[in-house]
Amino acid sequence: MRRRQYLTAAGATTVAALAGCAELQTPDDNGDDTGTDDTGDDGTTTDNGEETLVVSTYSSFLDAPSIGPGELVQERFEEATGATLEWEAPDGQVDHYIQRAQDGASIDSDLYLGVTTEDLVRVDDELDEPLFASGPSVSGRDDIIEGLNFDPEDRAIPFNTGYICPVYDSTETEAPETFEELREADHADNLIAQDPGSTVGLAFMLHTVYQYGEDEYLDFWADLQEGGTTILGSWEDSYDAWLGGEAPMVISYSTDQVFAAQDGADLDQHQIRFLDDQAYANPEGMAVFEQADNPGLAEQFLEFMLTPEIQGEVAENNVVFPATETAELSEDYAELAHEPPEPVTFDYDDLVGNIDEWIDQWDREIAG
Amino acid sequence: MSSSGPRRTVRDRVERRALAVLAVITTLLLVGMFYYPVGAVFREAFIVDGRATLGLFLEFLRDPFYFGDLARLLRGDPLREVLPSLLSFERPSSIVGFTAYQAFLSTILSVILGVPLAYLLARYEFRGRRTLRSLTIVPFVLPSILVAVGFRATFSTNGPVNTALGFFGLGPVELLFTLEAIVIAHAFYNAPLVARVTLAAWESVDASAIETARSLGAGPFRAFRDVVAPQLYPSVLMGATLTFVFTFGTFPIVLALGDASLMTVEVRVFRLVERFDYAEAAALAIIELAISLTILYAYLRYEAKQTMQSRGARPLPRRPLRPPALTARELVPRIGLGIYSVVAFVLFVVPMVSLVIASLTTDGGSWTLDNYRFLLERQVEGAAFQVQPWPAIRNSLLFGVATLAVALPMGITVSVLTTRHYRGRKVVDVIAMAPLAVSGLIVGLGLLRGPVFGIEFGGYRLIIGGAIAIVAAHAVAAYPFVVRTVAPGLQNLDPRLVESARSLGASRARALVDIELPLVWPGVVAGAAFVFAISIGEFSATVLLATGTDQFTMPIAIERFIGRRLGPATAMGVVLLVVTSLSFIVIDRLGGEQRNGGL
Repeated sequence: MRRRQYLTAAGATTVAALAGCAELQTPDDNGDDTGTDDTGDDGTTTDNGEETLVVSTYSSFLDAPSIGPGELVQERFEEATGATLEWEAPDGQVDHYIQRAQDGASIDSDLYLGVTTEDLVRVDDELDEPLFASGPSVSGRDDIIEGLNFDPEDRAIPFNTGYICPVYDSTETEAPETFEELREADHADNLIAQDPGSTVGLAFMLHTVYQYGEDEYLDFWADLQEGGTTILGSWEDSYDAWLGGEAPMVISYSTDQVFAAQDGADLDQHQIRFLDDQAYANPEGMAVFEQADNPGLAEQFLEFMLTPEIQGEVAENNVVFPATETAELSEDYAELAHEPPEPVTFDYDDLVGNIDEWIDQWDREIAG
Repeated sequence: MSSSGPRRTVRDRVERRALAVLAVITTLLLVGMFYYPVGAVFREAFIVDGRATLGLFLEFLRDPFYFGDLARLLRGDPLREVLPSLLSFERPSSIVGFTAYQAFLSTILSVILGVPLAYLLARYEFRGRRTLRSLTIVPFVLPSILVAVGFRATFSTNGPVNTALGFFGLGPVELLFTLEAIVIAHAFYNAPLVARVTLAAWESVDASAIETARSLGAGPFRAFRDVVAPQLYPSVLMGATLTFVFTFGTFPIVLALGDASLMTVEVRVFRLVERFDYAEAAALAIIELAISLTILYAYLRYEAKQTMQSRGARPLPRRPLRPPALTARELVPRIGLGIYSVVAFVLFVVPMVSLVIASLTTDGGSWTLDNYRFLLERQVEGAAFQVQPWPAIRNSLLFGVATLAVALPMGITVSVLTTRHYRGRKVVDVIAMAPLAVSGLIVGLGLLRGPVFGIEFGGYRLIIGGAIAIVAAHAVAAYPFVVRTVAPGLQNLDPRLVESARSLGASRARALVDIELPLVWPGVVAGAAFVFAISIGEFSATVLLATGTDQFTMPIAIERFIGRRLGPATAMGVVLLVVTSLSFIVIDRLGGEQRNGGL
């Protein structure tokens, strides 16, 4: 595909947040080194001598009713360091910062929480200059589970991971054991999946590429489509349709029973199936922005997130799995959250240069 | 009165310049919040590797994935191979073909469901008529995720519709995740639009014209056909045109209620934007826009020819809904309306009731107030960085009112400018309508890379954001509705009305406010209702332009309250329903049904 022309805007001035409507900035008014604004949106200010760390993340980390570890992380971090933590959750997530960098707009955040392998591939595809800093010095890195490290350039440090697999209602159907069984019509008809525009849909599509290779994964999907699988655009819609009984099986998270138990639902209706004993891992990482105002404090945050207690608590609150071997999980949680015997995932090198093409081919197969 | 002299002159001067000033402000808003940002994104479609080219467009046109048989022809496949499938009436599998096909079906259904509602509201008097009239466009503001919740509940295998059908030994109908589900959901949104614009025209029909026709011996049917119907066609067609344009650009509904095999142009634009293929996304969006604008242009040409002089409105008297006599003539239309209201009940009311029920039930189906308790808790205990329900309600209302204050004058100004007679005014009109037709994703991208990140010139960067920018963006998105509901009425007014007022010394603005607007008042009120609806329902520009969670609105709160279960988001959706319903009733009451003209 062609690369676009970018306004890289060397020497362009940076941006501060603004309150009212419009703001004009001069070249000297450089918001990079000190906070120049007074709106509290930008986090570099040091009002009372305390340091402020601005952490960007996806909005459900902060706002979603069923999860939401944001408040816990903020409280504990502020307690531990005496610094102030401010959240930012732009709609476009990591893409928002890629776009900012492309257009020469400043980045007023110190780190991003929730970087995925696909995010890094896009960062490197789209930007010539680094968006995230390499090799942050973080003690506790050695505790991270082997195989979750997905960034060969050592920018993103994993902090938790989810596994994507079929979830089914065992009072209605018995799920297939393998991908080969799933592609048969009687199982395919029972499935609600998602398109690769959603995180869960992308993970499952990548799992099929992992399983069948890039030459044959489309045949698998053609069988699913032929067999009557419903493919929706978002995990929320598909899960709601599944709860409503439209089909007995849905692609979702292996922690499904944690939610189900919270709601007092019948766990027989929330069974997990690891096809071929596998599930696709979706590790999430933390990466410090190259332009961070406060890289030292950002590294402190990374260390904090890897401590055993926080690893356990964040995983339970976010209803995912910790990234370290040393995490402290409660017994109840460990019982309800299922880990696959064989986690699989593509790392950065597998995806780079391939993922756009795989999605495009999928679109053309399914919608063509 | 020496003191009133100068004041009067100032007022006169303001009045004389009012239209010009408004025109300048309108242009600035449109350029800053729409044409410039969108143009900057579109520009990328024409530049590849630094050179100007149309190559991308040719690539799309020759790709059967997008253009099906047409692409095969353009690619040079022999006609005899392509012709059989080109002429078949099967559902097109190409993206552009399918998008047009579903938009066409959605338009037909929206007209079929919208016109009878306009008829009922225009011609019959019954208890609750005015409230029903106010609530007509409530579906218009519902976020698609909630419409999807309502539809899934209504039409699911064990949902109320299939249960009712089973009671009569019919069904079940497997409607969900099919083309039919998408088309019906589109009608849910757009039939109210058709109804509202048609109603505005119906309410402007002058009763004296019919009385004249009747006194000349025309029967009631003939009087309708010759006098009333010609005044309704343009509005029905306008509703149809707008429906086509909106559903041609449909996006979230298709993802939530259709299967991935049903891919529309806008879904594909989304995919291309997601992977940063801005040039291709822009090229595809331009193709989408070109098709929409062609349809709009065709309509506007037609509208311009429908000049019929009207001196304004003494509306038709309404008949009682209860038949005054048991004759066929009285009974047949009322029985028809009865059948219609059953269908309308199932398609409009049941999904909304299902939404309310969904907000009050657990997964297991028992009653609960937990979702509303969540809203209260979030309000009382929510952290500063979280979205809270009350500020969202307050912001939605404030932005809605502010948008009305900006978009109504904008729309009326553009209406005046596009109903004057000069060459190319229909082109101006089409360009002014572009905010209705441009891909929402491209507008969002343009706003982000323009005003939000800052527009560069010299070494400076102009950043636009916050509440004022949000209102500006809403006004730009909403004002075309005012133009479309007001301009046809102005066009039809007898120009002598304005001329005589001007000759008596009234400024153009004064003549507009005192004479023309009162005569087209139902159109102004309908336009106002649409403006408010667009502002309340707007999501993508608001979320980009807000500079903090304290500027978020109800649709953003709904999106943020989505969790594993949709309950809390649904509860917020019910809040949105209630707040907007009350607002519409207030707007309609304040607007009144008629404003008696000066003549």
